[in-house]
Amino acid sequence: MKKIEAIIKPFKLDEVKEALNEMGIKGMTISEVKGYGRQKGHKEIYRGAEYIVDFIPKVKIEIIVDAGMVEAVVTKIRETANTGKIGDGKIFVLPVDEVIRVRTGETGKEAI
Amino acid sequence: MVDVELRAKRDALEYLWRQGLSGQPLLHKHSQLIDDYLAGLFNNCPEASENMSLVALGGYGRKELFPYSDIDLLLLHAPEAEDRLGPVTEALFYPLWDAGLEVGHGVRTIAACLADARQDFFFQVALLDARHLAGSVPLFNSMHQAFHRELIAGHRQDFLQNMMQHRKERHQRYGMHSYQLEPHIKESRGGFRDIQAMLWVSHALFGLQELSAIEEAGLISPQEKEPFTQARDFLIKIRNRLHYLSGRKNDQMFFEYQEEMAKAFRYSDTRGALGVERFMQDIYRHLQTIATTTDLFFEHVDETLGAPRANPVEQTLEPGITVRQDRLHLTDQALLEKRPHLLMRLFAQAGKTGLEIHHRSRKIVTANLHLVDDRLRHSKRMAKAFFEVLENTKDVLGVLSVMLDTGLLTAYLPEFEQIRALAQHDVYHVFTVDRHLLHTVTELKTLSLSKTPFAGVESPHVLALAALLHDIGKGYHEDHSQRGSKLAAGIGKRLGMTEAETACLSFLVEKHLFLTVTALRRDLEDDAFLRQCAEQIQSPERLTMLYLLSIADAKATGPTAWTEWKGALLLEISLKIAHLLERKDTVLPDKSQGAGWMLEQVRALLGKEAPADYKILPEEYLLSFPPEEVAHHLTLHAGLKNKKEAIIEPADHTLFWSVLIMAHDSTGLLAKICGTLALHGLNVVSAQIFTWEDGTAVDVLNVRPAAEQTYTEQDWLALGEDLNLALKNRLGLSHRLVEKFRTALRPSGQKNVQAAPRVVIDNMASEQYTIIEVFANDRPGLLYDITRTMADFELNIHRARISSDGDQIVDVFYTLDSFATKINSPSFQEEISKALIHIAER
Repeated sequence: MKKIEAIIKPFKLDEVKEALNEMGIKGMTISEVKGYGRQKGHKEIYRGAEYIVDFIPKVKIEIIVDAGMVEAVVTKIRETANTGKIGDGKIFVLPVDEVIRVRTGETGKEAI
Repeated sequence: MVDVELRAKRDALEYLWRQGLSGQPLLHKHSQLIDDYLAGLFNNCPEASENMSLVALGGYGRKELFPYSDIDLLLLHAPEAEDRLGPVTEALFYPLWDAGLEVGHGVRTIAACLADARQDFFFQVALLDARHLAGSVPLFNSMHQAFHRELIAGHRQDFLQNMMQHRKERHQRYGMHSYQLEPHIKESRGGFRDIQAMLWVSHALFGLQELSAIEEAGLISPQEKEPFTQARDFLIKIRNRLHYLSGRKNDQMFFEYQEEMAKAFRYSDTRGALGVERFMQDIYRHLQTIATTTDLFFEHVDETLGAPRANPVEQTLEPGITVRQDRLHLTDQALLEKRPHLLMRLFAQAGKTGLEIHHRSRKIVTANLHLVDDRLRHSKRMAKAFFEVLENTKDVLGVLSVMLDTGLLTAYLPEFEQIRALAQHDVYHVFTVDRHLLHTVTELKTLSLSKTPFAGVESPHVLALAALLHDIGKGYHEDHSQRGSKLAAGIGKRLGMTEAETACLSFLVEKHLFLTVTALRRDLEDDAFLRQCAEQIQSPERLTMLYLLSIADAKATGPTAWTEWKGALLLEISLKIAHLLERKDTVLPDKSQGAGWMLEQVRALLGKEAPADYKILPEEYLLSFPPEEVAHHLTLHAGLKNKKEAIIEPADHTLFWSVLIMAHDSTGLLAKICGTLALHGLNVVSAQIFTWEDGTAVDVLNVRPAAEQTYTEQDWLALGEDLNLALKNRLGLSHRLVEKFRTALRPSGQKNVQAAPRVVIDNMASEQYTIIEVFANDRPGLLYDITRTMADFELNIHRARISSDGDQIVDVFYTLDSFATKINSPSFQEEISKALIHIAER
């Protein structure tokens, strides 16, 4: 089992969610996150005053999938979230030791 | 086993409830059942003697036993019965515990009771409801008498203050976000505890035990009693079911139960709202009824009993409204009937003075709502007072809440009825729709005092009204923004707003989600899309309003709706659109075509015979006014030629005057105008300034009365005379202004933190003009000094926007130098900057 973490642009969330649903992935965890990366925050000047936002708003999607699905899922996210511009985000794949469903105690594949 | 018997009885009770036994009868039946059972236990216990007495306390003492409520018991005993207590308590309490009941129990002598009651206010209150169940009656009676003699008589004031303090703390604790969504039927504001607090105080202070006795004593009115009783009966039924549904002592309307409860009470989905939403709406309304009634009750009792407040002098604020002991009073019923807009003036005064409205006057408002008829809803005076509340109130949430609770807001804006106490069945919207709207107005007020990139709105009253109305279209079977926009347009018109203001209001309501939704869902790098947004929003002014409204709306929604994260996205899209709009400002593609079209319209209006000289009208001027106004200006212009004096024409716009001033242009004209206006107590809000090719200045200034004045009749004739004197250089404006404001009242107390004044000279933002922005602490006559300083540098001011946020002003001037070019020289810029800062620092 693997955990896929994707950091994407907020407006791409709906599209990515839909694409993943179509692949049969219904469960995911989504959070609003702040990115402080290569694409630094920006300074805006408006009517003589400066406004600095020192982070970039991003969305993080977390999904647990069977190892066999990883490649398809990663490709799907990459295709959907891509705009070709800076700040499109990153995808991480991590190993997962175990999954346990709290209610039933089921483990492994059954618990995903 | 005895507890089997008890269990069976309680099952039988639940069965009766399922058969339809509910409300108070169920509570009494339940109490009776426990009474009988306990008396049986007590009487069958051989060790129980005449030196003991079994007493019911608290809710059980009042015979208000809800299905899973605690059973509060006191085993009262004489000191000599000490050694026989063990077997008695075992015989009494074990069966109750075995039956799974929650039992509050105490074993005390009379002396111990009194000592504990002195220490513990809750126990003291519980004793107030003490009821004899079994055992010695004389023992119970002596406890009862001792309690009233030692703790109640002579301590009425303490009792009241204690009760009020606990009530206040409880409201705070149960007023938090989570309890808004899932109200606590017992402890929340308007819950059972509020009812009891009122009954306890009536009982302890006046010996009144029944609601009808309280009414007879005049502590609540007959008009209050009926809805109050209805609310209480409704809540009793709710709480009964809530207990049975939860299978335990649960008094909070948790989310998970709401739908099932709604179904049980036969609320079904209708077009526009879910059954559960209507159900919760009724609960919130009933809670509100109880909260309002008990609030008024406590204020009344506190006033009757409490020490007289300081400041006994009565002061009349305006005919019919006086201040007495730091409370506002409506004093004249006959006058009120003659001038019903006094109802709204009362709230305007409350907002302005920060004083509370006396409870009796709040009742007077409610009793006079029939005066709010269609005519009053169209009244200009009423609208002015209403806008004053929206704009000039420090504690806007407090004042608007009272307006809502008294019923005045709904009477004045009947559109509010649909959303009053309307709940939204999700975890996101914490407040009911009406409260959310009040909170939005409040957040907006807070925002206007903080620093945001978008500030300085030209018509803050339009924005404030939009905040109050943005969700007015909820609860109908259609998109709430669309519906709300239509409703808002109707309201704007009724309140006497201009067409432009009404259009803006309706736009803001329709688009109140636009920025937030767009910021989250659309690619902010997509220039074509951003241009579309800019086209929809049309002007920087509207963008500013929309931005502020979006933030206020989110902040007023709930703890999850507004985050720094969302704020960053909102700021990004707004700044991007702002830059597009500013650019658009100066490069309108069809500008010349527009001017030509305008000329045709004006010609058609004036007729061919008119001797007007159209060539003298600059293009930018033509594009700034509707054809009717241009035609009007030309007509006036003919009169001006023969006179050496200025023409002044005020137009009343509900909340400000728009003053047209036409005169032959001369150096410092604007300064003289601003100075004269200030001399006559008028603040300039914004200004459009044009000079025709023949040297005629056409200035349109929006002005409002300075804060200390109300909207009295302005003496325009005197103003005109002074202006003409000033134009002929016969009036010393500088010294007169100093004179006028030396005597004027300065806000008392400490000065606010003074930010250093700042001047920004910007050649980039506009293609044609140099924009000079002045940020400074406001003072009377400042605008006159600024414009005069600019005149000294021979700067021509072509457009100006003047705005103030509390003590701060932000003035923006579109200027050119004496050669009609931008101010390019850095040293000249520096010089202007220094001179203006010098003036602002004075």
